[in-house]
Amino acid sequence: MKRPQAQVAVLQAADAQEDRRIDDVAAEADLKPEAATRAAFELEADGLVSVAEETLEHYELTEEGDRYVRESLPEQDLYEAAIDAGAADGPVQMGQVIGASGLEGGAVDIALSNYARKAYGEIDSGEITANQDADPGSDPEMLALEAVADGRVEDADTDALDQLERRGLLDMREETVRSVQLTDDGVTALMEGIEAAETVDQLTPEMLTSGEWEDVAFTEYNVEADAEDVSHGKEHILRQTANRVKDTLVGMGFSEMEGPHADAQFWINDCLFMPQDHPARTHWDQFALEEPEEIGHLPPDLVERVRSAHKEGVGPDGEGYHSPWTEDIARGMDLRGHTTSLSMRYLSGHQIGELDPPERYFSVEKVYRNDTLDPTHLLEFFQIEGWVMAEDLSVRDLMGTFTEFYEQFGITDLEFKPHYNPYTEPSFELFGTHPETGEVVEVGNSGIFRDEVLTPLGVDCDVMAWGLSLERLLMLMYGFEDIRDVHGTLCDLELLRETEVIR
Amino acid sequence: MPVVDVDPDELRYLTGHDEKDDDELKSDLFNLGLEFEGWTEDDEFQLEFAPDRLDRLSVEGVARSLRYHYADDRGVEIPNTNSADWSIEVEDQPDERPYVTGAIVRGLDMDEAALESLIQLQEKLHATMGRKRAKGAIGVHDLTMLKGDSVTDETGKSITYTSADPGEATFVPLDADAEMTPREVMESHETGQTYGDLVADFDRTPAIYDAIGLFSFPPVINGRRTEVSVDSRDLFIEMTGTDQWTIDHMCNIVCYALAARGGQVEKVDVSYADDAPGEYAGKTLERPDFSVRTKTVTHDRIESILGVSLDSREVIDYAERAGLDATETESDDGMAYEVEVPPYRVDVIHPLDIIDDIGRALGFNSLEPTYPDVSTVGGRHERSRLEDAARDALVGLGFEDLLNFHMINEAENFERMELDPDNTGGDVVGQADPVTIQEPYSEDYTILRTWALPSIMMVLENNTHRSYPQDLAEIGLAAGLDDSENTGVAEHRTVAAALARTDASYEDAKARLQALADAFDKDLETPPTTHPSFIGGRAAEVVLDGESVGVIGEIHPKVLVEHDLELPVAAFEFRLDALE
Repeated sequence: MKRPQAQVAVLQAADAQEDRRIDDVAAEADLKPEAATRAAFELEADGLVSVAEETLEHYELTEEGDRYVRESLPEQDLYEAAIDAGAADGPVQMGQVIGASGLEGGAVDIALSNYARKAYGEIDSGEITANQDADPGSDPEMLALEAVADGRVEDADTDALDQLERRGLLDMREETVRSVQLTDDGVTALMEGIEAAETVDQLTPEMLTSGEWEDVAFTEYNVEADAEDVSHGKEHILRQTANRVKDTLVGMGFSEMEGPHADAQFWINDCLFMPQDHPARTHWDQFALEEPEEIGHLPPDLVERVRSAHKEGVGPDGEGYHSPWTEDIARGMDLRGHTTSLSMRYLSGHQIGELDPPERYFSVEKVYRNDTLDPTHLLEFFQIEGWVMAEDLSVRDLMGTFTEFYEQFGITDLEFKPHYNPYTEPSFELFGTHPETGEVVEVGNSGIFRDEVLTPLGVDCDVMAWGLSLERLLMLMYGFEDIRDVHGTLCDLELLRETEVIR
Repeated sequence: MPVVDVDPDELRYLTGHDEKDDDELKSDLFNLGLEFEGWTEDDEFQLEFAPDRLDRLSVEGVARSLRYHYADDRGVEIPNTNSADWSIEVEDQPDERPYVTGAIVRGLDMDEAALESLIQLQEKLHATMGRKRAKGAIGVHDLTMLKGDSVTDETGKSITYTSADPGEATFVPLDADAEMTPREVMESHETGQTYGDLVADFDRTPAIYDAIGLFSFPPVINGRRTEVSVDSRDLFIEMTGTDQWTIDHMCNIVCYALAARGGQVEKVDVSYADDAPGEYAGKTLERPDFSVRTKTVTHDRIESILGVSLDSREVIDYAERAGLDATETESDDGMAYEVEVPPYRVDVIHPLDIIDDIGRALGFNSLEPTYPDVSTVGGRHERSRLEDAARDALVGLGFEDLLNFHMINEAENFERMELDPDNTGGDVVGQADPVTIQEPYSEDYTILRTWALPSIMMVLENNTHRSYPQDLAEIGLAAGLDDSENTGVAEHRTVAAALARTDASYEDAKARLQALADAFDKDLETPPTTHPSFIGGRAAEVVLDGESVGVIGEIHPKVLVEHDLELPVAAFEFRLDALE
């Protein structure tokens, strides 16, 4: 039989005939008393030893008690002085006796109260008498004090001990003393032979393969203690949100678009039927590039059709704009202000080839706006962009599609406020009810692309589109107040680390 | 979006609906697309709306829209006009600003509110259609102060739009007490300083004369002589610009507003000299031009866009409620409508715009949403799937995923990484010629980043108070100039990662890079290299499947100290497409 080292030591130190105190066992087994106690209880649980408990009283002299043992009790001093003053024969003046006794301060009161209690004499009206029969020399309290001081507490009178404790001359404390004794099973186990098993901190591969784990004991841990901090890697909160949006759109049949961040104004603005003198086309709103300054190649027939849409309009009753239009401006390079430039490239057939209806496309990609940085506006943000290409789309189809999309994010009761965009007609601002606050908030912009956009691109069916900032969706869904905390180099790692994962 | 201040009392007066309280008005306006933004100091509504209906830039225009909304008015209304008594002679006007238009409105009884509304309309039209006066600028004058004796025509009265020597011609401009030349106005007059740039490059400045002399310096400022006050009863309106259609329609909007105040519109002949610059040399235009434009809209298109069945009576009814006139007609595509568009509508440039008007009159929100019955198969872009897979692998290796701006400045991208900003180009990772931004808004964002490690170093720099280790990674855009690309820009996704910890070493970084390479079944080699951002002898090329695609090493102490870091950083960066 193998037992942990401490248990083996306790078993061997214990006796079958008499109780042995655990302190003695521990000393013999070279264990700490706590370890020996724990081992004894474990052995008792297995029936190999019995553990007995007894409560012992320990007396110790207080500082005052110690002084009295070495000198004398104050009432003894008083009695001696009273005898000397002749108080045995009749009352004498107390002041005189006290003066003669050498007692001072608090000791006078102590002496007087105990003098009377022990019937050493009587004290009345400032006079003191002494009892001839009293025997302060064999005062039981003094004897008890001396016994404690000499370590003979068993000789002391228990009443006297109680009295001394009340007088504050002794301290008493109780101690539980445990003793062990071998049981019959314990004796049998010892006779059959018992070996010490080792205790281990770490379970090792060798222990598992060798089977040694069966014979070891594991040291106990403090399982309630705090462990060290571990930071785990986590996908960025905006990336998580983007992926949720992408999953939703893919589920609704949309395919993802991809294309340049730095692009010609032609794809960013002109194809979108934004007049070249539109206030939003100044450098105050979008980032024009110094280098490269202009795009290398634009499809010439497409450029001509777009120019014509701007200048002459599309269809017999189209008017176009009364704004200047030059190819030079169209060739100018910008950072895209919206990902609709991708939609234009895809719809034109120049990105992945001609598209035939029906098609659904989306992107969740970065756009750049020359805006003031504040808690809700960044110079770069993600735009969710999506469009559906099909024959005979109506505004009701647009409403149905977007109702479906926003419901996936808990935004319900969608309202469509008629709006104006240069590139869509009809156009709608989308408003929805916030899932948490119940407020009606703007959640996007949408519409059906104008003929002036689609005809030059060579699209002869309907295309409806919408856009929304991903950051806005994130802020609506998770209540961030300052978008700069999460997006960009000012981000707070603590916030990223602690943000709840998106489900 | 334009904001217009509108006095609700004026609105009640002009619509004839005294019974409407403020809240009812706000709600009616909202349904028209005019949102109440708040009150002005003078207890007026501040209304915001989309920049299409520029005819609503005045209380008169807003009131007209409300009257259609209340069905008090229907169809197209054209104010009566009297025949021309005055003309604008156009000769030797600047090539850069060749067009002018005009109108006279008589018999006005203006109070302060009416005058304020006129001034606001002028300002708002300048800001929108007028493109801050560059495309069109409005001048309104007290007609009684103009002397119109013409040297060329004994019978009519005229003013002349021409040009003047900016240093010689003189007049007393508004808000001034003395005669000034146009040049002095541009240099020292407050309005001149604001708008002078529009004509500063002209050899001769635009100028309008009457028989007395110069009275207007468009598009900058009018003369004091013809200033309009509440006592002015007859007004001469002129507009100059770079496009005749634009100023003609700005003029129409102003005339409609004044007609709503009880003014009688009178025509003005705009007479371009035979050798005048611009498209109208030798022609005389009768202005304002209140002719209606006509567009043909098919019944099918209306039904297919709105997604509802309508009968022709309904279509005509909705059109009239939108202030249009529609009559049924036949077209090649079946039943259609000839729709007349009033002269103040500058936003209707295609039949679709009429369908939108019909939809608004019908009420878009009364339509039932339907899910389009067309089926397509969705999917992620290959690149975006690869990016996600690489990001998942980095997160699995314990990296915190970052998202930084693509815009950065030269100092962060190059100098603080010990790269030389004056010697860009070449093969060193991060050393590409950067895409640069014209007239950057902020010194912090002047280029597109050529690599992503600078962004990560900035995040480390801003988070030295946070606990370590900080293992950070980002997959994002990096770009550089490249003549072989059509856009002139080579854009790629880059994978960057850094380990910031007290014992970060090359080996730690390589172990993770190796794990990443293994996950994508790529063969990794790391031949030694030198890179200014890394410690010499502790930097290597990242070679995946035989192709050099990045760099790995321990960041140079100079770079660490520059970023206030007090512990080592091991890092790597390579092109995402190397994992394809």
